[in-house]
Amino acid sequence: MQTRIISLLVEDNPGVLTRMSGMFTMRGINITSLTVSPCEQEGLSRMTVALYGSESELEKVRKQLSNLIEVVKVVDLEERATIIRDLCLMKVHVKDSKSRSEVMQLAESYGAEIADATLDSVILELTEEPEKIDRFVELMKHFGVKQLFRTGITAIGRD
Amino acid sequence: MARVKLSGAEIVVEELKNEGVEVAFGIPGGVLLDLYDVLYEEKEIRHILMRHEQCAAHAADGYARVSGETGVCIATSGPGATNLVTGLANASMDSSPVVALTGQVPTAAIGSNAFQEASTFTITMPITKHNFLVKRTADLPKVIHNAFYIANTGRKGVVLIDLPKDVLADVTEVNLHPKETFAGYKPNIKPNQVQTKRAAEVLANADRPLILAGGGVIIAGAAEELRYLAEFLGAPVVTTLMGKGAIPEGHPFCLGMAGMHGHIYANRAINECDAMLAVGTRFSDRTTGWQLDQFAPDATLIHVDIDAAEINKNIQVDIPIVGDVKLALSDMIKWLEKNKKTEGSSKSVWVQRIREMHSACEECIKDVRREGSSKSDRLIKTISGILDDDAIVTTEVGQCQMFAAHYYMTKKPRTFISSGGLGTMGFGFPAAIGAKVAAPDKKVVDIAGDGSFLMTCQDLATCVENDIPVVVCIFHNRYLGMVRQWQELFFDKKYSHTGLGMTPDFVMLAEAFGCYGERVEKPEELKDALNNAFESGKPAVIDMIVGTEDKILPMIPPGGGLTGMIGTEKCKHV
Repeated sequence: MQTRIISLLVEDNPGVLTRMSGMFTMRGINITSLTVSPCEQEGLSRMTVALYGSESELEKVRKQLSNLIEVVKVVDLEERATIIRDLCLMKVHVKDSKSRSEVMQLAESYGAEIADATLDSVILELTEEPEKIDRFVELMKHFGVKQLFRTGITAIGRD
Repeated sequence: MARVKLSGAEIVVEELKNEGVEVAFGIPGGVLLDLYDVLYEEKEIRHILMRHEQCAAHAADGYARVSGETGVCIATSGPGATNLVTGLANASMDSSPVVALTGQVPTAAIGSNAFQEASTFTITMPITKHNFLVKRTADLPKVIHNAFYIANTGRKGVVLIDLPKDVLADVTEVNLHPKETFAGYKPNIKPNQVQTKRAAEVLANADRPLILAGGGVIIAGAAEELRYLAEFLGAPVVTTLMGKGAIPEGHPFCLGMAGMHGHIYANRAINECDAMLAVGTRFSDRTTGWQLDQFAPDATLIHVDIDAAEINKNIQVDIPIVGDVKLALSDMIKWLEKNKKTEGSSKSVWVQRIREMHSACEECIKDVRREGSSKSDRLIKTISGILDDDAIVTTEVGQCQMFAAHYYMTKKPRTFISSGGLGTMGFGFPAAIGAKVAAPDKKVVDIAGDGSFLMTCQDLATCVENDIPVVVCIFHNRYLGMVRQWQELFFDKKYSHTGLGMTPDFVMLAEAFGCYGERVEKPEELKDALNNAFESGKPAVIDMIVGTEDKILPMIPPGGGLTGMIGTEKCKHV
C-alpha cells in the first residue's frame, strides 16, 4: 500500500467533482486529500488528489480517471520530482507568557507565521510539505491545539 | 448553418433527426409535454409508447445491439427517470450505445423537492458513460451531438441528457448541427503496430493457440476478420456469452461458450492453450472462473480491447493492445500474410486434440446432461433447428439464458442478444421489442423463464398496439430456476423463496393482451407451436412446461476454476 499523488486537468463543469469522487467510491479507494482550483487555462480546473491504495488499485484508478469524458489530462506525480505543499491554520492554546514565547520560537524555527493572537491563544499559519506540517502539529499538541485546519495538498512537477 | 429561432423541444427533435434517429422508445410525462407536443407532428421519428420505462431502456438497448445504431429512450422526471435506471445500467455493462432523454423539473425548482423531482443527474452518473444536465436552451445542439458522439465511439455506452422543463419550453436563436468539441475525449482507435506484430508472431509460433472472443468482436464488426484469422492460424475459438455470434457456432474451429456454464471442452482448451488471443472481452468472472491459476496457466496472453482500463484489470496479460478490434485483427492478418506464416501447420496435434475432446467429452457427460434436463435442452435445440441463421434470439436471465447460450447455435453476429454483465431478469422481452423494430423482417424470439417474463410482461400491450410480432418462449418451471439450482447443489435443497407457486396461465395471459398463445407439454410439440405463432402474425407467447428440477450442467461451482466443473467427474478426456 502506498500514497500516490495524481494531478488532473478537468473541465470546469458542475458535477465534475461528484463524478470524480463517485469513481473513487465505486472502486473502494480512499482519498486522503483533494484540492480543486482554477488553473492557467480558462474553462479548466486542476485537481490534486492524494490516494492511498495498492499499486494495482492505483493503476486502475488512473485508467478509469482517463476514461471520464471531462478529464483532459491525468498526471502521476513522482514524489521525488514534485514540489508538494499543504497549508495549515492552527489555533494553539497559550496558558502563560512562557508558553507563548516558546510557541512563537518554535513557530519561527518552522517558518510559520503568526496570523492572529489573543490573550490565551495564537493562530499559526504554515505552508510546507505535509510531513513537516505533521511534525509541527505534533509539537504544538504539547501546548494544546484548539483547532486545526489543513487545505490538503497541491503539487507541481518540476519538469 | 444559419441561425434559427426554435424552442428547446424543437431543437431536440431537429438534432435527433440530424443524428439519424428513426425510432425512440418512451413514455411522456408532465415536464415532457413540450417535447411530446413537437413529436406529435413529427413524421421522421417513430415514437413507440412503452408500458414501463425500464422496458423503454431495454428496447433501446436491444435496438442498438441488433442495428449497431444508437438506441434512444425517453422518460419523464422523477419516477420515469428512476425506472430507466436498471435498463441503463444493463446497457452500460454490455457496452451498448444508448442515449436516454429524461425530463426534469424547471431549473428554478431543482433541489426544492418539487413534484416528480429526482436528481437524475447524480443517480445515473455511475451507470452511464457520461451524462448531462442541460441548464440553457442554447446548449442543446452541442449537448445532443456530443451525447451521440460519446455513446457510439470508443467503448460504446450510455449517455443520459436531463432536460428541465423550461429548457425545453424556452425559445432561443441557435446554430443547429454543431461539430463535436471535447477537451479530453479522444477514443483510442488505432492499435500500436509494434504490439500487433508481436502478437501475430506469438500466435504464429504457438503450438496450441486459442482465441477467446468477446462481445467487442461483434460491436466492432470484426467477425469476418476473426474467422479468417482463426482459420489462418489453425486456432480454435471459444467465446464469452457476449461473444456468441462472433464466429458461427458449427464452424469446425468454434468451441462455443466458455466459462461458468460453458462447454467442458471450451474450458479445457483455455486451460491447455500456450497462446491466447483474448479479443473484445473483459475477462468477467463468469468467463474466467475464480481459480485464476486454472485460466490459461501456460499461455502467453494477448489482450485486445478498445478500453485501456480493461487491460490488466481482471487478468494480467503479456501483450496488451489498446484499440479497435477490427483494426487490430486486420493488422495481425496483414503481418501474417506478408510474412507467409502458413496455415496452422505445426498445430495439427492441437487441433486433433480439440476435435477429440469435442466429440468424446460430450459422450462422457451425456448422462449428466440427461439427468439434469428433462426437456429444456431439447426445447432449445428445437428452436435452434427451426429458426434460420438471420433470426434473432433474445434471452431473459437465469437457467433459460444458460440453456440458450449452451444449446442455441448462433450463426451470425448481432443475432444473440442477452444481458451479460448486469444479468437483468426481464431484459429479454423488451429487448426483443427493440430487436424487432430494428429488424422487422427477421424472426425474433425471446427465450424466457416464467420468473423473468413476469417482470416485464406488461409490454405485450406495446407489441399489440404497435404491431411488433415477437415470440416469447417461456420455460415454465414455476421456479426462479437458476437460484433453485444453486439451492439444490449448494444449500442442502432448502428452496428458500424460489418457488413461484401459482404461476399464471400464460396462454390466457397472452390472449388477454390480444396476443397468440399456445401451450407445449412435450418438446416435439414445440415445432408446430412456433410455426403457429409465426403464422398468426401476432405477438405470441408459447408456454413450455418443463420439469422443476431441470438443471443446466455441467457448471463451475462458485469459487471454482475452469477444470473443476460439476458434472464432469466421469469424463475421461480432460
